[in-house]
Amino acid sequence: MKKFLIGAAALALMAGGVSAEEVKLQLKWVTQAQFAGYYVAKDKGFYKEEGLDVDIMPGGPDISPTQVMAGGGADVTVDWMPSALAAREKGLALVNIAQPFKHSGMMLTCLKETGIKGPEDFKGKTLGVWFGGNEYPFLSWMATLGIPTDGSAEGVKVLKQGFNVDPLLQKQAACISTMTYNEYWQVIDAGIAPEDLVTFKYEDEGVATLEDGLYVMEDKLKDPAFKEKMVKFVRASMKGWKYAEANPDEAAEIVLENDESGAQTEKHQKRMMGEIAKLTMGSNGALDPADYERTVKILLAGGSDPVISKAPEGAYTLEITDAALK
Amino acid sequence: MSWQGWAALAFWIVTSALNVAIANRWGGHRWAKLLVPVLFGITLLVLWQGMVTGLGVSPVILPPPSMIAARFAESTALLWGDFAQTILKGALAGYVIGCGAAVLVAIAVDRSPFLQRGLLPVGNFVAALPIVGIAPILVMWFGFDWQSKAAVVVVMVFFPVLVNMVAGLAATDALQRDLMQTYSATYRQSLLKMRLPAAMPFLFNGLKIATTLALIGAIVAEFFGSPTRGMGFRISTAVGQLDMPLVWSEIAVAALAGSGFFGMMVLIEKAVTFWHPSQRAK
Repeated sequence: MKKFLIGAAALALMAGGVSAEEVKLQLKWVTQAQFAGYYVAKDKGFYKEEGLDVDIMPGGPDISPTQVMAGGGADVTVDWMPSALAAREKGLALVNIAQPFKHSGMMLTCLKETGIKGPEDFKGKTLGVWFGGNEYPFLSWMATLGIPTDGSAEGVKVLKQGFNVDPLLQKQAACISTMTYNEYWQVIDAGIAPEDLVTFKYEDEGVATLEDGLYVMEDKLKDPAFKEKMVKFVRASMKGWKYAEANPDEAAEIVLENDESGAQTEKHQKRMMGEIAKLTMGSNGALDPADYERTVKILLAGGSDPVISKAPEGAYTLEITDAALK
Repeated sequence: MSWQGWAALAFWIVTSALNVAIANRWGGHRWAKLLVPVLFGITLLVLWQGMVTGLGVSPVILPPPSMIAARFAESTALLWGDFAQTILKGALAGYVIGCGAAVLVAIAVDRSPFLQRGLLPVGNFVAALPIVGIAPILVMWFGFDWQSKAAVVVVMVFFPVLVNMVAGLAATDALQRDLMQTYSATYRQSLLKMRLPAAMPFLFNGLKIATTLALIGAIVAEFFGSPTRGMGFRISTAVGQLDMPLVWSEIAVAALAGSGFFGMMVLIEKAVTFWHPSQRAK
C-alpha cells in the first residue's frame, strides 16, 4: 500500500509538473539568417525558459505561409505585411501580433549597361519580379510612378523571377528584385562588380512596406490561453532577435547548425546576418502604427489595380507586444 | 452541418439509385450511355457545393463550384490569354516538334540496328529525367517565353512516341512483308504503302499519351519562369494570392483543353485507322 501511494504521488507530481506548451512557427522562407532570432531563441533556451516547445517549420518555394495558416498547419507565421493584408481581404483573418523588422530590405537591382539611371528609365524594359505574395510592393511602386506593367512600350515588361538571380546574369531582364541580405550578394558572388550595378532601394524610393512580422489567425486570439502563449513566444523571440543583433556571427552559426538542407554557406549566412541586423535595428518587436499606416497607404495607392481595395480593420493588435515587453 | 449539406447528401443517394436503375434496365441504349455519366457528374458537383457550404469550409481551402463558375465567367479574357500562351504556343508547338522528331527517329532506328541498340536506352534515360529538374535548365537555355515550354514538351513527348512508333514499324508480319517482296517493292514503297499504315494504330496510341504529357509539361514548366501570362504562371501566382476560384478555373480550362486535344486525336485516329478491328462499330 505504501509503495502504491508513493508511486501514485510520484506520478501525480510528474503529471502536474511543467509540460511545455507547443508552438508551431511557419517561416516565410528556407532556414537562413533572415529568421535568426527564432533559431537563436530556440538554441539559447529562451523559449524553454518561457515554458514553450517551439517547432520551427522552414518554408520554401512551394510553401505559402498564408495557405499553411488557412489549413491550420501552424499557430503563428512569419509573413510580409502586404501579403497578409491581401490575404485578410480575401477572407483569411490574419492579425499582426509583432513586427521585429523595422526597415525594408527590398531592392530592384539593374545592370548599369542597360543605361538605367533612375526610375524614369524603366519604361520599355524587362523587370524581374517574384510572385507568390512578394509582388505587391513592386506593383504598388509602379502604380505610384504611373508606369503600366502590361508590357506596352510606355510601360514595363514583367518577368516572373524564380528564386535566383539568373535573369540578370543571363541578361534576360534589365533589372531584378533583390533583397539587401540575399539576392544582391548572390549577384556579387556571381562575379558582377558593384560598380556595374544600379540599385534602387524601396526605402529610398518611399515605397517601402513592412516585411517580416508575426501573424496569427484572428479567431485563435479570442482564446486567453493562446494569447498568453503568444505573449511568451513574442517575448522570447524578441530576446532572440536582440541577441542575434548583438552577436551576428554566433547567430549565423546557430542558423547553419539548424539548416537541414545543408544548402547555406557560412560566408553567405554571416553576411546575411549582418544585413538583417540593420533591418531589425530600432524595433523592440512592437508594431509602430505610423509604419502600419504608411504601408497601408502605399498598398491603397495602386491606381486601377490596388493591392487592397480598402483600409483593413483589426489587422494588427498591440495587446500581445504590450504584455510581452512590459 | 447546415441544410445544404443534408440536401446534397439526399440528392446524391437519390441520383445514385436512379443511375444504377437506368444502367441496369436501359444500359444498352444510346441515351442511357449519355445520361448516366452526365447525371454522375452533376451529382458530384452538387455534392461538392453542398458539403463545402454545409460544413462551412473556408473558400481559401476549397471554394464551392458556384464561386468558381462566377470567377470563370468574369475572367474569360484572362483565361483565353493564358490558354493561348500555354496550350497553343507552348504545348502544341512542342507536341508537333516532339512527335515529328520521334517519328523520323523511329524510321531511322528501324533502318539501323546500331541506332536501335544505342538510341533506345539513351531515350529511356532521357525520358526518366524528372521534369521539375530539366524545366529550370531549359528555361535558362531557351529564355522565359513559350520556347522553353515547347522544349520541355519535346523532351517529355519524344520517348513514348518513339517507342510506340518503333513497335509499330515492327508490327508487320512475315506474310505481309513477303507479299511486298513478290510485288518487287522498293524499301521506300514498302515503307509508305504497308509499314507506315500498319504502324498507325501504335503511333496514335503514343500520340494520345503524348497529349496528356504535353499539357503537363507546358503547365509545370511555367512554374519555373515565365512572362506574366500562361496557365502555370496563373496557377502559381493565384495560389500565392489565395485566389482559389481562379486556380480552379484554370484547372477547368486545362481539363477541357486536355479532353478536347485527346478527343481530336481519337477522331483523327478513327479516320486514319478505320480498317483496324478496334475501330469497327458494334
